[in-house]
Amino acid sequence: MFSIVPRKYVSRLPNSCKVLKRLSSSISSSESVTNRKTENLKRDILQYRHIYPEFLPDPKFEFRNIIREKLERNDMIARRTQIDIPEFYVGSIMAVSSSDPHTPGKFHRFVGICIQRGGCGLRAHFTLRNVIDHQPRPWLERWERKNLQGVQDLGLPEKFYKRAQELAKPWEKYDLMKEYMQVFILLLFVVVITRTIPEEEQTEIFSEIQSKLQKLEVTRKQLKKKRVFVKPIKLA
Amino acid sequence: MAFVFSNIVSKCCIKSLEDAFLTLSVTGSATQVRERHVLGPKPRLRNPTWFTKKLKSKTDEELVTPENEEFVKEVVQDIYNKPIPIQKELITNIEWTPKLQRTGVIAKKIGVYPLWFSNGKRTSTTLLQVLDNHVIRYYTPEEYDPPRKRVGRIYNRKGCLLLGAEGADPSNFTREYCGFPDAALPLGTLLTSMHFQVGNYVDVRGKTIDRGFQGVMKRHGFKGMPASHGVTKTHRRGGNIGGGGEKGRVWPGTKMPGHMGNRYRIAKGLKILRINTKYNVLWVSGQAIPGETNSIVYVFDTKLPLRKPTKPLPFPTYLGDIDENIPEDIYDESIHNFSNPTIVYDEE
Repeated sequence: MFSIVPRKYVSRLPNSCKVLKRLSSSISSSESVTNRKTENLKRDILQYRHIYPEFLPDPKFEFRNIIREKLERNDMIARRTQIDIPEFYVGSIMAVSSSDPHTPGKFHRFVGICIQRGGCGLRAHFTLRNVIDHQPRPWLERWERKNLQGVQDLGLPEKFYKRAQELAKPWEKYDLMKEYMQVFILLLFVVVITRTIPEEEQTEIFSEIQSKLQKLEVTRKQLKKKRVFVKPIKLA
Repeated sequence: MAFVFSNIVSKCCIKSLEDAFLTLSVTGSATQVRERHVLGPKPRLRNPTWFTKKLKSKTDEELVTPENEEFVKEVVQDIYNKPIPIQKELITNIEWTPKLQRTGVIAKKIGVYPLWFSNGKRTSTTLLQVLDNHVIRYYTPEEYDPPRKRVGRIYNRKGCLLLGAEGADPSNFTREYCGFPDAALPLGTLLTSMHFQVGNYVDVRGKTIDRGFQGVMKRHGFKGMPASHGVTKTHRRGGNIGGGGEKGRVWPGTKMPGHMGNRYRIAKGLKILRINTKYNVLWVSGQAIPGETNSIVYVFDTKLPLRKPTKPLPFPTYLGDIDENIPEDIYDESIHNFSNPTIVYDEE
């Protein structure tokens, strides 16, 4: 620690000060270890926002209420004790099974690729899609506007491409402010509308449910070992 | 050096900005005088019964001598330091009958989220948090003078309970509930979510979201007119507002643009699907309850004749303690508990 302090500065310090400094340094070193630990824990907790995005509430300020959000999260965890929801992202290939009164056997299973994940709380949803009649995967973005190579010329009129270039906003993806918040300045009044939940609140929310989620993960792993593969019966 | 320089620049900027604002404000006040737009007659103000008008005295404050001040203090202490008058003993063995009217509560609308029925169907519910409701006052039928007078000969005069919630502005957090003297409660009685029962129906009164001056499409759900096909300047207009001949005038009550929202409305006949006793929350069917999230609403037993409760209600209110014997969450029979196993349909 002392090596960092300039020589001149140390020599000028009186003896008692030196002792104090040494003591403080020993304390600070132990503190730094705990700090590192808490920082690691914090980072782990913040990782949850990618794994469980639906636990974060709607950032729209008008719809927020702390008690409602707490009750909603409790219900979500209660539901997760009964169904097995693995970690998944947009692009994951997975199967969804559900009970359906209208299918023979009252059981429905769908295998597909996740193309969308949205909503929050109990209203969270995702979209699965698989190949239907040998169609390619759906196009969700207008690729011709992204200046991609290898796009087949569709023989569209010149006007179409000109218009596409006019409407293109290539800078938008670098606009972090747009992602984070919108600020209106109205003659000395500043109104801030957040589009995301702030980091402090995220840690608060996830540290509250972390222990429960970890328990669920452990039980899921145990169940995974126990589960036996049952070959599906061909129907009709 | 660079730092100093930038500091000067920023100071200059602030000064120039301030000047700009000053000139703006000066020009704004000098030239722009707009007419006041009057939106019909204002709603009549009915002051609550506990409201006492302030007496305005024109005398100077210096004229009040220290003796006068002491005297005023004495009078105030004489009036307000009296012990609370002994309440009549609460009669709890009254059997509830459909004709008896209970008090309602003051609640807060805290949001909307779905619940599932045990047959797998989804339903939207609104969460109403019952606030810290206390009985503040009881007016006996003799002394209660309702702001809305009942018509005809009155055989059964009603008393009135005054409730208060949250130590904030009493004009927002108090509410009067009329009822027959049987429903009276002693001062300071706490009303909780256990006042209501799962499966019963309630009415919820709230102030709708203020949407300001709106056109007919938003206000009355008119269809408007086509966007193209030769239509000009009439896309969101109401169109014709009256016929000719004998009826050649605008009939009263014609739907036209105007102020929308910011008025009290009652959503009637909402079923209570779930109750949380820890946070005092009621899950009530439907998502169209007047008012925005976090606004104050008033919840009371429904007045609809066909949705009266069949089982006896706790009358005048639930008086037991909320302890471990009472579950934290009470679900209606039709609702699927989140911690129950997934719904599976039987094969016939």
